[in-house]
Amino acid sequence: MKRVISELLFLAIVTTLPINAARAQRPAAPETLIRNATVLTVTRGTLQNTDVLLRNGKIAAIGKNLNASANARVIDGTGKYVMPGIIDCHSHSMLDTINEGTLAVTSMVRTEDMLNPTDVDLYRELAGGVTTLNLLHGSANPIGGLNTVVKIKYGRPAGEFLFPGAMPGIKFALGENVKRSSQPNQPGVTRRYPNTRMGVEEVIRDAFTRARDYKRAWDEYREASKREKNLIPPRRDLQLEPLVEILEGKRYVHAHCYIASEILMLISLADEFGFKIKTFQHVLEGYKVAKEIAAHGAGASIFADSWGYKIEAYDAIPYNAAIMTRAGVVVSMNSDSDERARRLNIEAAKAMHWGDLTEEQALKLVTLNPAIQLGIQERVGSIDVGKDADIAIWNGHPFSVYSRVDTTFVDGEVFFDREKDLARRPELAKERAALEQAEPNRPRTQGPSPQTPRRRPSKHEDDDMEVEKP
Amino acid sequence: MRTLLVLVICATSLFAQQIGNPTTQDGVTPPRGTIAIRNAKIVTVSGPDIERGTIVIRDGKIEAVGANVSVPAGAQTIDGAGLSVYPGMIDAGTNMGLVEVPQGANGTVDLSEVGDLNPNAKAIIAVNPHSAHIAVTRVEGITSTLTAPTGGLISGQAALINLLGTAPKEMAVVPQVALVINYPRLGGGGGGFGGFQQPANLADTLTANERQVDQIRKMLRDAEAYGRAQDAYAKDKSLPRPDRNVVLEPLVPYVRGQQPVIFRADREAEIRGALRFADEMKLKPIILGGNDAWKVVNLLKEKNVPVILTGVFSLPQREDDAYDSLYENAAKLQQAGVRFCISTGDAGPEVRNLAQYAGMAAAFGLSKADAVKAVTLYPAQILNVADRLGSIEVGKMANLVVTDGDLLEIRTRIRYLLIDGRSVVLSSRHTELNDAFKNRK
Amino acid sequence: MPKIRSRLVVASALLFLFAGASNAQRSAIDTYAITNARIVTVSGPVIERGTVVIRNGLIAAAGANVTAPSDARVIDGTGLTVYPGLIDSYTNLALPEAAPSPSPGGGGGGGFFLLQQQQRPAAGPNSTQPVGLQPEVMVEDVIRPGGNEIESSRNIGITTALTSPRSGIWMGQSALINLAGESPQQMIVRSPVAMHVGFTPLRTGQYPGSLLGVFAALRQMMLDAQRYRDSLQVYERAPRGTRRPETDRSLAALIPVIDGRMPVVMLANSEREISRALDLGAEFKLKLIIAGGREADRVADRLAKQNVPVLLSLNLPRRTTAALPEADPEPLRVLRERVEAQQTAAKLAKAGVRFAFQSGSMNNISELLGNARTTIENGLQVADAVRAFTIWPSQILGVQDQLGSIEVGKIANLTVTRGDLFDRNSRVTNVFIDGRPVDLRPAAAGGPGAGRSSVSGTWTVNIKLEGQADQSITLTLQQEGERLSGSISGPLGAGEISNASASNTGEVRFTVSVNVEGQTKEATFTGRLANNEIRGNVAIVGSAPGTFTATRSGQPN
Repeated sequence: MKRVISELLFLAIVTTLPINAARAQRPAAPETLIRNATVLTVTRGTLQNTDVLLRNGKIAAIGKNLNASANARVIDGTGKYVMPGIIDCHSHSMLDTINEGTLAVTSMVRTEDMLNPTDVDLYRELAGGVTTLNLLHGSANPIGGLNTVVKIKYGRPAGEFLFPGAMPGIKFALGENVKRSSQPNQPGVTRRYPNTRMGVEEVIRDAFTRARDYKRAWDEYREASKREKNLIPPRRDLQLEPLVEILEGKRYVHAHCYIASEILMLISLADEFGFKIKTFQHVLEGYKVAKEIAAHGAGASIFADSWGYKIEAYDAIPYNAAIMTRAGVVVSMNSDSDERARRLNIEAAKAMHWGDLTEEQALKLVTLNPAIQLGIQERVGSIDVGKDADIAIWNGHPFSVYSRVDTTFVDGEVFFDREKDLARRPELAKERAALEQAEPNRPRTQGPSPQTPRRRPSKHEDDDMEVEKP
Repeated sequence: MRTLLVLVICATSLFAQQIGNPTTQDGVTPPRGTIAIRNAKIVTVSGPDIERGTIVIRDGKIEAVGANVSVPAGAQTIDGAGLSVYPGMIDAGTNMGLVEVPQGANGTVDLSEVGDLNPNAKAIIAVNPHSAHIAVTRVEGITSTLTAPTGGLISGQAALINLLGTAPKEMAVVPQVALVINYPRLGGGGGGFGGFQQPANLADTLTANERQVDQIRKMLRDAEAYGRAQDAYAKDKSLPRPDRNVVLEPLVPYVRGQQPVIFRADREAEIRGALRFADEMKLKPIILGGNDAWKVVNLLKEKNVPVILTGVFSLPQREDDAYDSLYENAAKLQQAGVRFCISTGDAGPEVRNLAQYAGMAAAFGLSKADAVKAVTLYPAQILNVADRLGSIEVGKMANLVVTDGDLLEIRTRIRYLLIDGRSVVLSSRHTELNDAFKNRK
Repeated sequence: MPKIRSRLVVASALLFLFAGASNAQRSAIDTYAITNARIVTVSGPVIERGTVVIRNGLIAAAGANVTAPSDARVIDGTGLTVYPGLIDSYTNLALPEAAPSPSPGGGGGGGFFLLQQQQRPAAGPNSTQPVGLQPEVMVEDVIRPGGNEIESSRNIGITTALTSPRSGIWMGQSALINLAGESPQQMIVRSPVAMHVGFTPLRTGQYPGSLLGVFAALRQMMLDAQRYRDSLQVYERAPRGTRRPETDRSLAALIPVIDGRMPVVMLANSEREISRALDLGAEFKLKLIIAGGREADRVADRLAKQNVPVLLSLNLPRRTTAALPEADPEPLRVLRERVEAQQTAAKLAKAGVRFAFQSGSMNNISELLGNARTTIENGLQVADAVRAFTIWPSQILGVQDQLGSIEVGKIANLTVTRGDLFDRNSRVTNVFIDGRPVDLRPAAAGGPGAGRSSVSGTWTVNIKLEGQADQSITLTLQQEGERLSGSISGPLGAGEISNASASNTGEVRFTVSVNVEGQTKEATFTGRLANNEIRGNVAIVGSAPGTFTATRSGQPN
């Protein structure tokens, strides 16, 4: 249902162009002028009765009475709010698989291999004003797989989603999930190490020790091979290479964690090995150790108010964002759920309700702060001239529960438009009726019964958060 | 081995201590008295808003409401200038107080009995008044919840409780407010905890479901016969005295259509099946869930069956459903004249966000006034307690929320809270943890 | 004539005794001429009326002015059309039955992968790698001649097939076989042809247990193979003073792959699966071939640009189920996919992507040509459809000098039809493989599943567990080829069966969760179908073993 006409058009184009070429040759986004809107810049406050000009995929100008070229699309923004596209710093959308759970260290796996650009939840997220996702590996391992930062270019091939210049990252995880607390012992099956938070530390320490040795072995080889010819190089190890990048500061660590002790554990381990944790993810007890997190220079990417769904989430409080923000931590609000991702504006507003953050501080939780956490703050996260035209137009203040998104732009192109969505519904119904008559789609008179509909697979990395509805 | 066992027990008991409710009011229910809220905007819900008025509360009840009501002598007064008073919100689809931590602390889970047919399982028996969830929820303006057991085919009887009290008895508004039937699902897993695994193909699922419906049918028929036999004996003692049966006895008012039966049903075919079954058995049905209710509006209207919508914040049921199909479900029911209310459908932790569920429905077509009703008056009507709850009217229970703005807006704060005419301190496990850590240097 | 017959007997006997060395013996009687036939040479123009001469297993002559040699057996081809023998470019023909998978399915890539999951790959002895990651496995080691499936394929005019390992990640190396011959040696045209990559995670609890891990494991092994190759070179240059690299058959098998000498066939159907394969191929500069290719048209230009051919499955998706009012409507995406899959071939041809047709594990091979006709109705040129069964697969698989067209010197694999190959009413009248006619059975013989007893239907299962009263449950089974699905219901609970399989010898196996004394346990049923009963053993985790007997209580719906 959600296949936009632009997608169909696009398919016609893309089938004739290889991905990279397509990116290069795709015609620039049409120029758009939004007139007389309330603009939530994030960096420079709220601007009333202001125009925003989108040109060549960038925010070209912000101000009063702006001029656009003759063929520009002009949108009357009277009564509307323009907000930067929301950035979700913890998502598993569009991933065909999120966990490689067989090993405790899976730094060799890459979420980039798993992208499914046709995931309809992407469209639903666009309809919530979201434009960028940090796609993370699941939380089955102390050291998990590599992340992928994407712009939601729903309808395009996977290659076009990749956020150019985003810092490479990796998922770590601590606590109940990596201990496999919710998995019962199977008779005759050896439990995977680790089984305790002690073992979690041990696994990470061991991995970084090996990574150091690995780096040393290569350095020595490179040195020695200048003098000697017949040397066999060390084995290239895809598991250790990302860890070397972390040690060299070239890869961001996004560490899933819950309780205060494990947060402190990872900080001290990272300090010992000389690397930084870029974000603690979830970090439900971050408020207890906010100053230590701030001192390490780590960010925190949290839920607004989820709590109580398991033991390690029992001390979570909705004041977490406020306490950490005041302690100097860069905080973002994430979804970890295709459902919640659709209403991150509400999640951000909760930090005003609980903990008295200012509107600007709360806005940053889903815009500039996650951009900083992903190393893309020069491109997105605020409405500033020169930044990517990733924005959403809302029919009211995005922190009002009564507001919804009218239009979402990515790189200046419209990827969601409510009016077009409504207009397309009868067309899709017609298409369905026609397709159902096509020979390969007709039910068989002698065929077996259709399948029992399956529960939509939960895309929570913490499956256990899906508390059963009564 | 023994040491291990001892360790486990120690650990468990330590834990049990940890997860109490450290509010200052723990164990003490605040007193009633005479309270007046003055100069406030009063959103009565049942009638027009009063822009500036007074509410007088005495002995737990609303004694007077109006623009020109005077404050009785000796009343405790709340200055409502710049504030708004709403009836407390009601979430008609929770497991509040039946589960503290669903994962990893099985000892705190009292949701689902063993076996498929448990009409005698009563939520009110197991509700934990000291659950941290209760204070966490009420300080956001939710004053009452329907709390329901889960699992099996007949899950048990739900209670309507106020979120205040030292004992379940004090909390109960209606101790047994509805029977909960887990109408067999057509997909999307079984009925929660202890649900059934389903066959792979739909024809087999339908057959299996029919067998399960048969089990329910048989028990309800038994209860009907049981009730008749008891009545007959009461009138004519010459008949043989029928034995009492604790399982069938609680079913009698439900099979006689005197009390409502809640059917969990989301898919169109499930809703239709539940309505057919309710017709056949002459029950008084309520649909809980109702994700596909927008597809069944005519039938729901015709049968005058209300729906407790729990899926406002669920992803659309099917890949091809419109992105807003569940956001606008409520508006579609409203337009069609189907009775409904909005619930979080949550076990406990998320119930405090009820206002946002209603607000989102208002962002997609429901009027703001109806959105407020959907979490106040409508649930009260559906649960037959509109004479006591759901609006600000003289004689109703004084469950009141005083806010600094629109009840459903995220940024709005609750300033005062009254439940059953008792003024409640706005603290919870969360505010106390906040207080303990916010100034840590 | 009597003389010929006696020589034939002698020849057959010799053939039997010295299977490998029999070619010379049969030359004299293996001369055939098909006269007055329409000849679709594929490599050149169609000869409207001409003769094809076959001698010594090869095409000796073909043309309008060719006359039948005097020693030839003459077949009057009036009204017949001679095509090069058809090539099915992706099959599991001539391979042993798959053993049931030891562990749960699920996950993985598209439907094609799921299909493969039920099957255990062959194992390489002394491998350094777990089963499923053994590129050294070669199907030529396990090829077995004969069988219903080969015969069914021949009946519709297929003379040659690429046969590839059934499953795995590094699945192993395929062989191109002619579908006649008494020994593997006689059948093999070329081996190995290609390395095969499936993306099915290991289901043993070992790494890689997910598609994420599969890609990482593929990359790591290719890197390891590069180092192995380099180490061997270093060692060869300077054995003295260099530590001897350990021999590794798995890595050795990958060296021709990473050197771009051996093509790699990757199973990929959806747009994203194909894109991933293309990315991996480009990353390691592989000589890539896509197999499956249902949505290949969506990446046609990348395929053309990277010069990656497609072994396009003619197992066209279609709805298999009946209507049921309670069912959800099928997703628009699925409805579109089924319709669009019929157009893929035409779009690939138009975009200049090389492709060859394959049967894609279809249940009933007799639908193959009908499905090809569907692609023609959706825009594919008839001549291209013929090419996709003949010259194109021969080029893609590197046997264009031996097969794929009617040219002098090529292997005499010929398919003779009455009526055009793709006509609804055409009939295969003669098939020559390696210059010899093969017996054709009436088309009614059906597909590979035909003749097999099916266990589909409803069964009443009586279970005897030691020390317990007998239990009776209802079992519903649905068999499609070796795939088995179904469910149980009754006093042990209701649930779906998993890890289920039914072999063509009647062995049935499945696992299901049962409820025993209030606990959910795994029960594994293994039994054999005989006389309309399934008898066998049931093993329940943590309980004493038991036996079961299933009797039919209903036929499949």
